[in-house]
Amino acid sequence: MFLEVTGALIQGFLTTVQLFALTLLFALPLGLIICFGSMSRYALLRLPIRFLIWIVRGTPLLLQLLIIYYGPGITFNNNIWGSGDGGRFIAALVAFVVNYACYFSEIYRGGIQSIPQGQSEAGQVLGMTRSQIFFKIILLQVIKRIVPPMSNEIITLVKDTSLARVIAVYEIIWSGQSFIKSAGIVWPLFYTGAFYLLFSGLLTLLFGRIEKKLDYFR
Amino acid sequence: MSLLDVQNLQKHFEETRVLTDITFSMEQGETLSIIGSSGSGKTTLLRCLNFLETPDAGRILINGEPLFDGDDPRSFSEREIRQRRLHFGLVFQAFHLFPQYTALENVTLAPTLSAKERGEYDAARKEAILTEGRALLTTIGLADRMNNYPHQLSGGQCQRVAIARALAMKPDILCFDEPTSALDPELTGEVLRVIRELAEKKTTMIIVTHEMAFARDVADNCIFMDGGVIVESGKASEVIDHPKEERTRRFVRRIESQSGEEE
Repeated sequence: MFLEVTGALIQGFLTTVQLFALTLLFALPLGLIICFGSMSRYALLRLPIRFLIWIVRGTPLLLQLLIIYYGPGITFNNNIWGSGDGGRFIAALVAFVVNYACYFSEIYRGGIQSIPQGQSEAGQVLGMTRSQIFFKIILLQVIKRIVPPMSNEIITLVKDTSLARVIAVYEIIWSGQSFIKSAGIVWPLFYTGAFYLLFSGLLTLLFGRIEKKLDYFR
Repeated sequence: MSLLDVQNLQKHFEETRVLTDITFSMEQGETLSIIGSSGSGKTTLLRCLNFLETPDAGRILINGEPLFDGDDPRSFSEREIRQRRLHFGLVFQAFHLFPQYTALENVTLAPTLSAKERGEYDAARKEAILTEGRALLTTIGLADRMNNYPHQLSGGQCQRVAIARALAMKPDILCFDEPTSALDPELTGEVLRVIRELAEKKTTMIIVTHEMAFARDVADNCIFMDGGVIVESGKASEVIDHPKEERTRRFVRRIESQSGEEE
């Protein structure tokens, strides 16, 4: 029984990890783009983006998952996500990427705005371009400052992936819960907890190392 | 022909006029000090020369060539500005060293990036930039601190690195914005000594300062500003020791009595 449960949970966990990794892969850069948009000088760009951030941060991720998955099919009679597991996974991924990119963008914005203006001015008077100033001077200082809030957000993402089950993405909790009905046992649910703890424990170690690595300057 | 000519420079922020009709010129190898109370427009003037602020009107010429002309819209484009600002270097009151780079890297970063941009960066160029960076840090007495990060240096050492960093881009005119005001009193000496040595080597410099003795002894000429206008200018010893204008006299007396109390 234990082996059977372990096998099923690993199956579900793979989906969890996939959703987690792909969300990070797309949301980290998308967040930076949203962040630049939200700081733009041009109100025509800035205001719609601020509006999007407000909507995304102001409503539950669960609701966003449901709307993104069912919305197109019911409203336009056109299920853009395709049928089957693959379609549901992509719909979940899109919802997670948009949601997390908005949260990341606000963390980036806080980080960028906390760097003193003098850093950029010092670069300017030395004849550097705006992109040289951002990539050679500002970026690393921003990364150093945002590691703690980002690690918070990313560990939350590990656990938030379980929400995808609301549109029937078979992630690890789904796998664990299925044994309640099929075998009448509850311990597989506790077992899923161990997976989460292990994963977030590894992430905590990783972020600790990054923080330490950036400790050489202040 | 003068190295620098500033003609009728104007600048205002919203309703406040910060600079009104600023006109002066300076020669190659000259050291000019600018004194005046805070809010008199000294810092804004330096920031205009370094294109951190764009003047509303007036002209800035280097060797007779216009760098900025308030009547020419090209003066306001970012690309033009980046080329032109390299005629000037600026040392900030609060140093603004890059914390993630060592003293040496702070000095070599801008020359390296500029060589890369022009496609001239190779092993030989890299070595030349490093050699020059080390030489600059040695001249300012930080040979043994080259590989330290800014947070491992004292304020005076940081400011000296900032001076080397500005010199590495070989500006025609090096500007200092109250270079010792953020330092503990016992650390101002080492920074002033470096500036004095630069003056002896005939580096063209504009120094905004509250150190009256320094402004008089090191600078050839001095400008006193108040309320955004140049009230008095001339030989540094004349302006500070024998001011003609009542406003200058009051200012110098006030600063000297203040520094007297500190001692």
